[in-house]
Amino acid sequence: MKKFLALALALIMMLAVSAPALAAQDAYVFWYTFGDVYLSTVRDAMDVEMKEEGLNAINQDANGQQATQTDQVNTALVSGASALVINVCESGSIGVAETLLNAAKAYDLPCVFFNRALSTDDAEVKALLDSYEKTVFVGTLFDQAGKMQGDMIGQYVLDNYDAIDLNGDGVITYVMFKGDEANQEAIFRTQYGVENADAILTAAGKPALKFYDEGNASKYLVDLNGTWSNTASFEYMQTILAQYNEANGNMVELVIANNDDMALGAVNALTVAGYNTGEEGAKVIPVFGVDATDAAKELIANGRMVGTIKQDNVGMADAVAHITANLVNGKDKFDALNENYTIVDGWMVAIPYAVYTGE
Amino acid sequence: MQNFKALSNKDKGRYIANWMLDHAMIIIIILMAIYVQSQKPAFFKIPSLVNILSLTAVRLPMALGVAGCIILAGTDLSGGRVAGLTAFISAILLQKAGASGKFLPNLTPPNLLLVILAVMAIGAIVGLVNGFCMGKFKLHPFIVTLATQMITYGVYLTVSGSKQISSLDTSYTTSFVTKSLFKIGPTSVPMYVLLAIILTAIVWFIWNKTTFGKNMFAVGSNEEAARVSGVNVLLTIVGVFMMAGALYGYTGFVEAARLGGSTATLGLNYESDAIAAVVIGGVSFVGGTGKISGVILGVFMMQLIMSGMTFLGISGNVTYIIKGAVILVACILDMRKYMVKK
Amino acid sequence: MAEQNILLRMEGICKTFPGVKALDNAQLTVRKGTVHALMGENGAGKSTLMKCLFGIYSKDAGHIYLDGKEINFKNSREALDNGVAMVHQELNQALKRNVMDNIWLGRYPKMGSGKLPVVSEKKMYDATMKVFDELGVKVNPKTVMSTMPVSQRQMVEIAKAVSFNSKIIVLDEPTSSLTETEVEHLFEIINMLRDRGCGIIYISHKMEEILRISDDVTIMRDGQYIATRAAKDLTMDEIIRLMVGRELTNRFPPKDNVVSNENIMEVQGITAMYSHLKDVSFSLKKGEILGVAGLDSSGRTELLENIFGYATRKSGKLFKNGKPIGNKTSRESIQNGFALLTEERRATGIFGILNIQENTVISSLKKYLNYGFVLSNKKMAEKTKWSIDAMHIKTPSQKTKIRSLSGGNQQKVILGRWLLTQPDILLLDEPTRGIDVGAKYEIYQLILDLAKQGKSVIMVSSEMPELLGVCNRILVMSGGRLAGEVNADTATQEEIMTLAAKYA
Repeated sequence: MKKFLALALALIMMLAVSAPALAAQDAYVFWYTFGDVYLSTVRDAMDVEMKEEGLNAINQDANGQQATQTDQVNTALVSGASALVINVCESGSIGVAETLLNAAKAYDLPCVFFNRALSTDDAEVKALLDSYEKTVFVGTLFDQAGKMQGDMIGQYVLDNYDAIDLNGDGVITYVMFKGDEANQEAIFRTQYGVENADAILTAAGKPALKFYDEGNASKYLVDLNGTWSNTASFEYMQTILAQYNEANGNMVELVIANNDDMALGAVNALTVAGYNTGEEGAKVIPVFGVDATDAAKELIANGRMVGTIKQDNVGMADAVAHITANLVNGKDKFDALNENYTIVDGWMVAIPYAVYTGE
Repeated sequence: MQNFKALSNKDKGRYIANWMLDHAMIIIIILMAIYVQSQKPAFFKIPSLVNILSLTAVRLPMALGVAGCIILAGTDLSGGRVAGLTAFISAILLQKAGASGKFLPNLTPPNLLLVILAVMAIGAIVGLVNGFCMGKFKLHPFIVTLATQMITYGVYLTVSGSKQISSLDTSYTTSFVTKSLFKIGPTSVPMYVLLAIILTAIVWFIWNKTTFGKNMFAVGSNEEAARVSGVNVLLTIVGVFMMAGALYGYTGFVEAARLGGSTATLGLNYESDAIAAVVIGGVSFVGGTGKISGVILGVFMMQLIMSGMTFLGISGNVTYIIKGAVILVACILDMRKYMVKK
Repeated sequence: MAEQNILLRMEGICKTFPGVKALDNAQLTVRKGTVHALMGENGAGKSTLMKCLFGIYSKDAGHIYLDGKEINFKNSREALDNGVAMVHQELNQALKRNVMDNIWLGRYPKMGSGKLPVVSEKKMYDATMKVFDELGVKVNPKTVMSTMPVSQRQMVEIAKAVSFNSKIIVLDEPTSSLTETEVEHLFEIINMLRDRGCGIIYISHKMEEILRISDDVTIMRDGQYIATRAAKDLTMDEIIRLMVGRELTNRFPPKDNVVSNENIMEVQGITAMYSHLKDVSFSLKKGEILGVAGLDSSGRTELLENIFGYATRKSGKLFKNGKPIGNKTSRESIQNGFALLTEERRATGIFGILNIQENTVISSLKKYLNYGFVLSNKKMAEKTKWSIDAMHIKTPSQKTKIRSLSGGNQQKVILGRWLLTQPDILLLDEPTRGIDVGAKYEIYQLILDLAKQGKSVIMVSSEMPELLGVCNRILVMSGGRLAGEVNADTATQEEIMTLAAKYA
């Protein structure tokens, strides 16, 4: 009881001494996790871009937990934030985004979502975002990365068919690492990464890619923690190599990963087994990722990985910062937006991808 | 304490130093709060206080459950995942009729009260397993609850197929759990604050006024003495863990509504936050001591710190360091009270 | 003895543990309205017999009758409900809870008609006060147990037994932590219970007490019943003879140590930081056995702990051989040649689950290193063997767990441990507490031998005959201060008592 009294007394004191507010334009940026490599590059770029737009970016880490993020958003609202910029933790559950947007509405603040999808259903997202003037989603077209990755793989396999077909049976076996079971982008990347490659191969009269393990109906291996992590892919790859290798004549001949982190894990496991070491004459199993992280670029430069899809981190940060500033300053949200970005149906801004196979 | 004036100057200094140390946690947090307030004057405005209050209300029930387990000189790690499971169950039972991709397509949302009781019962079942293994087989609570934590998560993943559930019925969300009791400016005080107050009152009553509550403290303080005095120790342990489980179940029910859906990460690490808050609130791992007021204060302080750091815009990295340090300091100060000075 | 006067009869009780016949046809008959002392050396089977009564052990053979009806309790709660209660030597209480919570634990008075499990604090308070008033116990029922001294906690435990309307109350070493006045109070309570018709089974090693308070005495040896006599027909020597099975006329070995004139230690005005110990000064001579007497909370233990640096000193100086020493921590004191045998053997003395060798070498590990960092099993075994031989420790092997030894043998192991650190000054706090008569004699002999080797001993004890019988000089503490000093060869118990009450 004494403690409560002390606390209450202190509160009164503080109210008495509190100085008048400084009108700072704080844009709170909520990240689903600081642990994501690609997002870290966006965060660095975002700090710079926000400053250029005259905003002060305050970064918050939800560590993958929606509850933490929701708490942070609520706290930011009462702390006098000028704008909310949200990288939602739960992509695929529109209810979450709705809760967050409603909170922003109550304070009449700009609320920009970016990078992680709000739901699997575009119509649902459009309906939600159309309900409020000061919001928009900045992302990529979900299917684009997967499709580009598939095209890149198809072309590469076609060009190097015999070298890739280690056991010479005329069929290429592959493994696919999926980042998160329920994530919309992961689902598309998993689907198109193979479908588009197959389309190119079959058009050229070659057989379609074959998943290395015929017993696995889903045709992918997923990070059970949903964190797209290299740990997961490393462990999977190591387990695979114990059973599927050249000695058994069933070596996995191609590795496709939803992101570069997972590609990196696969490369590391291959290296342990003597592949993709980057040394002269070492056998290379082609590995493909998405994101073009610094680590992946280095692997590509060393010949230990073949290609990745570049997400434009600076473009993403620039678009988000620009739109946020527009909203804060009462301008039209798309005012003076870089023309490389595609505005989709008025609710979304899409940042284009690019193929990356080395400088 | 004898007359303060009668003490020598040296003793006076020591007395003041001791007083400061005994109340160090509160002093540190007040200083922190003053600092935040000086930087961001909105910190101690009504909307912010209401926000901290709401956050406290969300975390409190789980902390109360864990506190019971810690009073038994045990611990409970299953809380977060139980909440995750019950959030999912609440969400599928109370999904909007006709929502696209509805998990249970033919179900019309049942009575809310039934759902609350059902999820609390599910939590209590996990608690039953926890308590029984501990009381009957003398297993360490850490290991038992670690195991049930994993099992609960596995059950959740199996049943849900990792599907995220949204489009909850409004009778559940905006018309009940997050319904505004009253508004202060744009900030509304939601229903779950009231629910937390009711639950806390019930738990207070159980702890302090019932034979079960007294037995809980006695078992935590000296299990053998309780056994010799004819207390059914097994039943007491099972009861405490079942009560905790029921509170975790309730937490899941509120969280799904508050967040607008249920997902695989919901509940992750909730138990660590709850344990930390309970320890800050002076419930000792030594067992046998703890007060409801302490638990409330602990959760409140934890939220005050978290909220303060959000206000200051401190990066996530530093947040972890501060949070960890606060827990460590709280534990040291707590043990200091139990250390007999020689 | 008329049959209707018999409250409890245990006959033909046998209990065998693997390898040991703990009870062999033991018997005990307690009359209504009497205090019945149960005596025997440690290991004689007293506590096993009591455990059979309370159903903690199931007996192999024999019968127990309470009020003429055969009983067979399954647990101590059932015994309690049938009016058989025990106050254990080592109090088993929920220390964080208050007095009345402890008394009514397991049977809290309930609100209203008692159908709901809601506790009535008021009923509980009133019932507690009623028992306390009857017994003349002055304790606030709302006090938290851990804040009370052991003596009061024991009173609470007795009150708890009384609150069950017990017909039989077993008191196990009830006075081991009580001061003289508290003992008097306890005896009043016992007399009152006796007048009510209760049967008290009184287990103790203190013969003076037993002869004073008890009506009947049953003596056991090696798990067997030896004799039951009326207390008024017994002498101390007779009891000892029955207990040990041989003549033991002298309780103390001859005091043949030579005290030198040389001061080994000088204590100047030590005052404790966290206890009431205040301004104590004295000196200790080489080869001297210095006793410290006083009531339970007179600061005896605190004095030793302050000298040893186990407790924090606020002021005061220590000199050894004329040179100032710090003794700020136990480590430093050990390096300075001090050793402290603590009062609570189980809590701060032994490592119960470790074996005798580990318990012996723990304080002197550095001496057994090979190459500076590898512990030599050979060296440790040698030193442990030395200790076992020198202390006459009765143990099957060095690898025996210490907790399976009797109290006396445990104490000898610890004494051996300290001797291996080669101390000059031994601080012994209640070295014979809870140890049976035969073993006490051996401990006294060891203490004297040490003094004869030129070591100095400070010995705290609550038993005045022991201090008078073993020490050369006795300091008397009172209320945290030094009340005076007496010559042990000439002083009387009355003299010491007068001093002990000086500042109390």
